[in-house]
Amino acid sequence: MTSRESCLLCQIIGNKIPSYKVYEDDLTLAVLDVNGANPGHCFVMPKEHYPIIEQVPDDVLGNLFIVANKISSAIFETLKVQGTNIFVRNGVPAGQTVAHFMVNVIPRQENDGVNLQWKPKQLSEEEVSTIELKLKEEIKNTGVQKIEKTEKPESAPKEVVTQSTPAIDDEDDYFMKQLRRIP
Amino acid sequence: MAEQPQQQMSEEQVKALQEKLKQMSPEELKEFQKKQCIFCQIITGKVQSKKVYEDEHVLAILDINPANPGHLLIMPKEHYSIMPQIPEEEVEHIFLVTKTLSNASLRALEVQGSNIIVANGVAAGQRAQHFMVHLVPRKENDNVGFEVPQKTLTEDELQKIQKTLSEGLGAKMEKPENIAPVPLMPKETNVVEAEFMEKPITEKTIKKKTIKKEEKQKQIKNTETIEKRKQKKQTKSEKKQTEQKQENVNLDDIANVLGAK
Repeated sequence: MTSRESCLLCQIIGNKIPSYKVYEDDLTLAVLDVNGANPGHCFVMPKEHYPIIEQVPDDVLGNLFIVANKISSAIFETLKVQGTNIFVRNGVPAGQTVAHFMVNVIPRQENDGVNLQWKPKQLSEEEVSTIELKLKEEIKNTGVQKIEKTEKPESAPKEVVTQSTPAIDDEDDYFMKQLRRIP
Repeated sequence: MAEQPQQQMSEEQVKALQEKLKQMSPEELKEFQKKQCIFCQIITGKVQSKKVYEDEHVLAILDINPANPGHLLIMPKEHYSIMPQIPEEEVEHIFLVTKTLSNASLRALEVQGSNIIVANGVAAGQRAQHFMVHLVPRKENDNVGFEVPQKTLTEDELQKIQKTLSEGLGAKMEKPENIAPVPLMPKETNVVEAEFMEKPITEKTIKKKTIKKEEKQKQIKNTETIEKRKQKKQTKSEKKQTEQKQENVNLDDIANVLGAK
C-alpha cells in the first residue's frame, strides 16, 4: 500500500487541495479534471484509498459507477454533448498514473481528439480457444458465479438544492434519437 | 468493437423505415430494436459467441475484433442503447461482474492492467445498438493507443461547468476559494511533486431536495428480478471473496508498482 498522505486524490478528498467538486456522498467524490479532454471531464473516486479496481469493495464500487452514470446523464442534460465515455485506467500498462482508483467520465463531441478506438488484433482460432479456456477456468476457480447483489449503500447526495433541471426534455430527445437510429 | 453487419438499403427503404420509426411508441421501438440487435441474438443463443461468463442478468463474451487478447464485452441481457437508460441496480451488477472479470484476466492472462470503456452515443465511439462494457486486458507495449488529450480551461470556464453540472446532479458544490486547483493528472507521471496550497474548503450548508427519479429507468420487470436477488442476498452472509484470493496473486504487486510511480 502506498501512503495515503502522499496520495493526491486522498488530499483532495480531505480538502487539503482545492478542487472543483461536482458531486459528493459518503462513499464517492466527483471533481472536474482541470486538464480535461473536454469541458466537463470528471474524475469519480472512492473516498477510501484503493489503488486498483480489484481492491475496491463491492458496495463502494457499485456506488461509484452509479454516480458515474448519474454524472454521465447530467452531462447529457446540461452540457449538450453528443456522447459520453466512461473510461477506467486500471494498472500502469493501462495508463494509470495515480495510485487511487478512479473513473473518468468524458463528455464527447465529434472530432474532439479523444480516441478510445483500437486496431483489432488478428488471433488464430487456437489462440482464441486457449484464452476462452483459461478465462473460464479462472472464473470457475475465483467463483465469479457467486456474485451477489450488495446492500445498496444509503448515500444520498450530501448537498442538494431545491431546483429542477429543465433540460430533461433534451435528454428525452437524446434517448429518442438513439432509439430511432437506423440499425 | 464487434459490429453489426451493415445492410444496404435504398433511399426509399430508409425513408419508409424512418417514417415507421417515428410513429412507434417507445415500447414498440424497444421491441423493434431488440429484433434488430445482434447482441440480443447472441444473448438468446441465436448467434454464436465465445461466452466466458453468464448469469441471470449479464453475459460476457470475447470480442471478435479485440484490442488485445482476452478483450471482453460485458452486456446486460436486457436491451438498452445507452447507460443512462439502465436502472441503478443493474449498473451496479454489471460493474461488479466487470471487476471480477478484470480480476480473472489479471490472473489467467498474465496481464498487468485493464481498461474499462463505455461509449454512450456515436460521437463517443459507440457502434453497437446494445449497451456494453469493454474490458481490455493490458500489458506494457501492447500497442493499444487510447488517447485522452489534455485541454486547458480557464478558471471561469471551470467554475461555470462546475455550477451547471453540480446543479444538474441536484447538488450545489462550493467553488474553491480563490485558488486554482492543481491538475490531477499531470502531463507525465510525476504526480506527487506538484505544489499544493493548503486551504481547506469550508463545510457547506445543506438543503434537502427530493431528487427526481427518471421513471423510465424503473422498468417493473427489472425491479422484480432485482428484488428477488436482494432477498437472496439477505439470507446469505457476506463473503469477502476478493480479499481471500489475493494472497496467491499479483494484485498487490500491481498496486505497488503504481505506488512506486
